[in-house]
Amino acid sequence: MALAQGAPPRGALISFKIPRGRGASLGLYIIRRILWLIPVLFFVITITFVLIHFAPGSPWDKEGKQLSAAVVRNLNAKYGLSDPFLVQYGRYLLNVLHFDFGLSFQYEDQPVSSLILKSWPPTAVIGALAFLMIVIFGIGTGVVAALRQNTWIDYIVVGFSTIGASTPAFVVGIILIIIFSVALYRITGSNFSLPTGDFALDQHLIMPVVTLSVLPIAFIARLTRASTLEVLRQDYVRTAWAKGLRERLVVTKHVLKNSLIPVVSALGPTFAVLITGSVIVESVFNIPGIGRAFVIAVSSRDYPMILATTILFSVVVALANLVVDLLYTVIDPRVRLG
Amino acid sequence: MDDSVARFRWLRVPALVTVVGLLVAACGTSSPTTSNLAKDQTLRVNIVTEPNSLDPGQQQYSYEGAIGASISEALLKIKPDLSDAAPATASSYTISSDGLTWTFKIRSNAKWSDGKPVTAADFVYAWQRILDPRLAASYADPYFVGTIAGAADYSNLDAVKDAAKIPAFLAGLGLSAPDASTFVVKLQAPTPFFKWIASLWMSAPVRKDVVDQYGSDKWATSANSLITNGQYKVSELVSKDHITLVPNTNYWGGQPTVTKIINYEISDDNQAYAKYLNGELDTVNVPLANTDLVKNDPKLKNEIKFVPQLTLFWMDFNTRKAPFNNKQARLAFSKAIDRNALTTNVLKGRSQPATFFIPKGMNGYRPDLGKSQDFDPAAAKTMLTQAVGDPSKITIDFLIRNITANKQIGEFIADQLQTNLGVKVNQVVIDSKTVTTRLRAHNYSLYVGGWGADYPDDQDWFDIWMTGSGNVFGGYSNPAYDALVKKADIEPDAKKRQDYYDQAQKILIDDAGGGFLYQRNYMFLVKPYVQGLTTTAQDFEDVGDWFWGKVSIGQH
Amino acid sequence: MAAAAVTLEQIDWENPEQIGLWRDAWQRFRRNPIAVGGLIFVCLLVLDALLAPLLVTLHLIADPLKQNVAHTYAGFSLQHLLGTDYLGRDLLSRVMFGARISLSIGLIVQAIYLAIGGTIGLIAGYFGGRVDNLLMRFVDIWYAFPDLLFLLVVVAVLGPSLFTIFVAIGVIGWVDLSRLIRGQVLSLKEKEFVEGARAAGSGPSKIILRHLLPNTLGPIIVSLTFGIPRAIFLEATLSYLGVGIPPPTPSWGIMIQDGYQAIFAYPHQVLVPALALAITMLSFSFIGDGLRDAIDPRMRR
Repeated sequence: MALAQGAPPRGALISFKIPRGRGASLGLYIIRRILWLIPVLFFVITITFVLIHFAPGSPWDKEGKQLSAAVVRNLNAKYGLSDPFLVQYGRYLLNVLHFDFGLSFQYEDQPVSSLILKSWPPTAVIGALAFLMIVIFGIGTGVVAALRQNTWIDYIVVGFSTIGASTPAFVVGIILIIIFSVALYRITGSNFSLPTGDFALDQHLIMPVVTLSVLPIAFIARLTRASTLEVLRQDYVRTAWAKGLRERLVVTKHVLKNSLIPVVSALGPTFAVLITGSVIVESVFNIPGIGRAFVIAVSSRDYPMILATTILFSVVVALANLVVDLLYTVIDPRVRLG
Repeated sequence: MDDSVARFRWLRVPALVTVVGLLVAACGTSSPTTSNLAKDQTLRVNIVTEPNSLDPGQQQYSYEGAIGASISEALLKIKPDLSDAAPATASSYTISSDGLTWTFKIRSNAKWSDGKPVTAADFVYAWQRILDPRLAASYADPYFVGTIAGAADYSNLDAVKDAAKIPAFLAGLGLSAPDASTFVVKLQAPTPFFKWIASLWMSAPVRKDVVDQYGSDKWATSANSLITNGQYKVSELVSKDHITLVPNTNYWGGQPTVTKIINYEISDDNQAYAKYLNGELDTVNVPLANTDLVKNDPKLKNEIKFVPQLTLFWMDFNTRKAPFNNKQARLAFSKAIDRNALTTNVLKGRSQPATFFIPKGMNGYRPDLGKSQDFDPAAAKTMLTQAVGDPSKITIDFLIRNITANKQIGEFIADQLQTNLGVKVNQVVIDSKTVTTRLRAHNYSLYVGGWGADYPDDQDWFDIWMTGSGNVFGGYSNPAYDALVKKADIEPDAKKRQDYYDQAQKILIDDAGGGFLYQRNYMFLVKPYVQGLTTTAQDFEDVGDWFWGKVSIGQH
Repeated sequence: MAAAAVTLEQIDWENPEQIGLWRDAWQRFRRNPIAVGGLIFVCLLVLDALLAPLLVTLHLIADPLKQNVAHTYAGFSLQHLLGTDYLGRDLLSRVMFGARISLSIGLIVQAIYLAIGGTIGLIAGYFGGRVDNLLMRFVDIWYAFPDLLFLLVVVAVLGPSLFTIFVAIGVIGWVDLSRLIRGQVLSLKEKEFVEGARAAGSGPSKIILRHLLPNTLGPIIVSLTFGIPRAIFLEATLSYLGVGIPPPTPSWGIMIQDGYQAIFAYPHQVLVPALALAITMLSFSFIGDGLRDAIDPRMRR
């Protein structure tokens, strides 16, 4: 292969320093992105508000015994639902500016912010732990499989990732429960008990974290593998690899750098999804998290809760995307943003 | 609609009457000797869903009653066999000769969980609060609005626009406390079933000073401020996880043996079942699919508790829309359902077939009245064809709530109608709130609805089929039925009353106001070391949860 | 075989070789037994999806809607090769019919994702700057707003039907793919081969389609391959939440959801559809791998 221009000097490693002159503009870029949160949030709130009012069913519709018209009328009055749409919308926006997110319709007047503050930590902790596992195992096994393409290691990784991708979380969850909680109990008399009680960082978290990470690990592993293979397909990379340890280090660093872009792209939304909760895993393992709280809020038309949770999710997603974009510049300094 | 996930039950349950054998097996024995009691008297149960509120005035759902019945005590309390309401916080009561005034004597030793005595004024305050439009209490209407003197105006008062009129309205209600231990209630009309209303757990007293101090929204949200008068009190509230109850040391009726009840809120059936198997729960509702497995398991089959419930489910026909505006058509649809197959095979024997309205366990139980709706597919098809013509030209919108159990039953019913009658059925499975909205807007043809007793009196049941009732959506209306029920509701003579109700039931069945289907039972697994379990036909979420005070934990 | 004399310094990390044209791709694909195996299975699946109703009419398989409540949850038998479900319906025929729904959802939804997400990702990545910022903020908004609520409204307005589900899922989920593609393009467009193409006078669409898109294929293929079971699970979750395909139509997602209820007592209720899904997923993934290897001849074997 002919040597192209611009080859890096001998022994150069990846520079994690942001190229000079870009520091200030990067800081400005971050600030600009954070400011963009405001119009994004505004749109999200508006769209959600409109959707809520188009959604059929009122918060007071019950399944069995029906509330009398008088009671329904009084409930609507209590929560301001009988006011015209624009009045409710305006009032809500004003309240949000004061960080007042209202009272829950379902949990008789508990402030929505306290409900969220109670239910988010369990979800976030489990999500963060799962994310750690995904980064370590997903990327790790993906790279190894790519480096050892078509060997038994590769086949195992591909096989497991396929199985992992084809088993929905609730099946994984209940299988784990059956194996570790029920069967183990029958055999040994002690059990790997499931998360209960005050939420704590202990071995109870292992099963939900594992369940939550199975599918993303499978996906990230395959993605990393595919992306790494793209880089490795160069013949001379293989040659350099065969040459020795020092060459291998250089090759590895460059391979990783080039192959991580799509992986980071995928990790961003993965992180956001994990932190905002999986209703299925939370239901199966009975975790008092925000994923389940949100689904319940939608089902019971708890408007303030729906709005507040959506706002939280928007902020999380926007920040996650920002971090991903920043990581692009770290991995590949040539990427220009904004 | 039947659903194995109890959290969707809108039932809240007092009292029991049931098949003698089952009840005898389930009923508690005399208190156990201390020698075989476990050191740790902790009971762990599952109430499935987190209560929306623990404020008695705000409660309505069965999973709220599961806690409410233990921490709050009303004037009276149902007896386990549902034959009567026994004195509870009230030691006795008298009814005036015209039936309009009920006088309750509050026990002198009845105390709140903080030691203060329970007074009649606490009841006046609590009942006024329920009838305050600003609280928008779910159980106000018709239980209190329809009975207490002066409360009928509730429907005309808007909580915001008429706010100024409310204090006068509340003061004008027929509630008074001439002294600390006498609570006097004046009624709109003689009400033979009022004792049951006085036993509803939402009618428990409330402390004005606590509400004033912490706020009407907040006093019931933390264990410190939740001052209650029941046998137990809340010691720990962990949102979406569990509620822990401990004995109220100031309770007038003595201390219970079980010193801690942990009410978990596990919504996933399989997880709860797994926890029972590995010893983390003491009772569990057997998931429907596991019924046969449990019945055949050598160990588990001895732990089964089967408790019939005062519930009944039926096909709700929208009488405003063809073909259900035609009585013969409705009867045909009802006769096309093989109830035995439904209850034995689909519901795995956990429910009983019913072609009548009042379930087994109520005084008004009359299975013989149900002949006109008996399963007869051939006759059904003929009837339908004669009434409205070619069945294959009929298309029905069948509304089904998106709960697994409802879907399963819905699929069966739709298949029966299609196979036995030849009609086309559109199964419309949508989320629960939307279903209710469509029902109230009468935008449906068929729906499977049901009822669970609030209390074991026929009045609670018969009122729902009256013209204009908000609890049956199909618009059934029969003036003869209305007249009979109105007479029966206020009839003081028990025999005449029952006779009116029987006649009304016959009209309802023959009219096929509803296509009655089945009565539901509870099938639970209970650990053998749980002793003294006292079940009723109106248990909330767990069998025996009306009477946790009688339970003790044996050594294990 | 590579030139053995190339030293480390001579490797140009910044300018990867481009993926070649699509010529002969099919030839190379054909020589890959695993990929062909996957393709055959998928073809069988498609055949099954198309012919299943015919098979029922010819009495070769049972009617998936025929209930027989006297024999619920039956195990494997000659009469019912894979057993029966909670209403006594034959599981084999339900799985075969389920393929129709699941396959359609899997494929059609991915197509929608590719169309919307791919376009937006390519445009945002290539043009960068303001265009990228606006499009990505639009994506942020799309990400954040409550899918479930949107679905409820859509179903309420359009009625619960297969078409509604496709539209709803497709419209919600394209965002991941767009971010993925955008990221790739951002990185690739700085490479010299793109400079070269620009200098040679190629317009943006040519650069995008000829140079950028083929080089982003690897991750796209993985994303699409994984997207198929994801879409199927999403359909099951939606049924669980009440906005799914109306009964009595069987789909693998619904079967897995229903089977989960019985997992303690009758595990085969879940295993049968889950296996069908796993094998389908495996086949698509083999096809995906094979495609990628076939398109670029320099892919190592």
